[in-house]
Amino acid sequence: MNYSELTRRYFESAAAAGELHGPDVFRGAAGDRERGTWVQFDLQIGQGGVQAARFLAFACPHGIAICAWLAETAVGKPLQRNLPESAQEMRRRFEVPVEKMGRLLIIEDAWSAAALAAIESRASAPISRQ
Amino acid sequence: MNAATVNPARMPVYLDHASTTPVDARVAARMAEVLRSEAEYGNPASTSHGYGDAAGALVETARAQVAEAVGAQSEEVIWTSGATEANNLAIFGVAQYYRERGRHIVTTRTEHKAVLDPCRELQRRGWQVSYLVPDRDGVLDPKQVADSLRPDTVLVSVMHVNNEIGVVQNIAALGAICTRHGGAWLHVDAAQSVGKCPIDFASIGADLMSLSAHKAYGPKGVGALLVSQRDGSRGRVQLSALQFGGGQERALRAGTLATHQVVGMGLAFEIATTLTSVETARIAHLQQRLWHGLQEIGGVLRNGSATRAVPHLLNVSFEGVEGESLVAAVREQLAVSTGSACTSASAEPSYVLRALGRSERLSESSLRFGLGRSTTQADIDMAVAVLGREVKRLRNVAGTTGAARGASGI
Repeated sequence: MNYSELTRRYFESAAAAGELHGPDVFRGAAGDRERGTWVQFDLQIGQGGVQAARFLAFACPHGIAICAWLAETAVGKPLQRNLPESAQEMRRRFEVPVEKMGRLLIIEDAWSAAALAAIESRASAPISRQ
Repeated sequence: MNAATVNPARMPVYLDHASTTPVDARVAARMAEVLRSEAEYGNPASTSHGYGDAAGALVETARAQVAEAVGAQSEEVIWTSGATEANNLAIFGVAQYYRERGRHIVTTRTEHKAVLDPCRELQRRGWQVSYLVPDRDGVLDPKQVADSLRPDTVLVSVMHVNNEIGVVQNIAALGAICTRHGGAWLHVDAAQSVGKCPIDFASIGADLMSLSAHKAYGPKGVGALLVSQRDGSRGRVQLSALQFGGGQERALRAGTLATHQVVGMGLAFEIATTLTSVETARIAHLQQRLWHGLQEIGGVLRNGSATRAVPHLLNVSFEGVEGESLVAAVREQLAVSTGSACTSASAEPSYVLRALGRSERLSESSLRFGLGRSTTQADIDMAVAVLGREVKRLRNVAGTTGAARGASGI
């Protein structure tokens, strides 16, 4: 199938692929490799918000590209539980076929799980890693 | 991609010869000659003038070439638009003709869609179809066929060379089984066979055989159905026609023949059979090199028997890699087929690999390498290098590098 230039660029570079470790890193994952899509985000949180982000994705090129874009664009921004833009908006941005909407929701779930872990950790003291 | 912008120098290495082959330059030249001819453009069915006679002579020469290539008689060759039409004519033609004798058909789960879909349609119309499952290597035990036959069985349809894994079935054994049964005719889809391994229609006991030109360096849009004229103990196989309108091809396939197309198929088959032994030995060497190179990557599984297959096809699953991403990662450099439909969330993994017991994920992360006349050692080495690099990258992105990780374990 054909992919947009944006999708190809982020799929091929996948610059933020990997994992983070440390007491200020919060992890969220969703999906199942056996079912075709699995995504994990690691968010390193500091006073100013997201200081670093990494992802792992067993996913199609659209899925990998969106994860890479999310991990890249999140850095330096305040931590939010929700995605910086909705799954529908990301679908349009990356020209993802509507049949793949379910895969985007897995990405959203993984992101939300990581963000929620960070938010809950900050709400309780002392801060502990999930 | 716009055809006008295609730059052959930047096209990926072509390793999809099982899908189709480039037209042999000699075939293309001969077809062009026929198209330009000022004496051979007549309707081959027109016997009232020399133009028709000249075209008819070309058609009959091509018919003899095809027959010679597969060990058949000229009068057994019925031209069609390709193997799909030949399969449809064989299956629907037998089912319709023998509908009062019986309505049971035997085939396998690993046939091409051009056989499975007609069988599904016959089921919808009230026929019963038994779908046999080959073993994990893709090999069908002839005893499975023997055990599945019933008094009302009218047709057994089994392919010769599998189009996804290259496994060669024991057609001669099936022919003997069908002959003993007495009422079951044997149809063989041999679309992949010509030029890859010898075929002798006269001796293997098949009653019907489908052939394709474009899998053997001939043109697309032409094929043939061999209809046996042997008078065995059970007589000759009979077919009902599926299209009407002129009585061509023994009234089994009406329509004016495309002279240049059948000429192309005849020459392509003649060339292919003369090259079979030399090319097969060369390609076997390349396939071994490819397989050894891929094994170095690690986490690769060969699909289908290594010993009961033509060397022109190699089907491999890559562990820990998502199928669509694998194809996307290599498509700029390698033209290969995939086990994933690659289009949507409802992508259907290869039903052939699923029938052999491969998981859905491994079926989707499979690639079919189709080696052919243009394939060189440099092509193979490049394929190994590209796949080594991209599989490693995708496993890193997926977190599946090294030992399988996570609950999914792939």
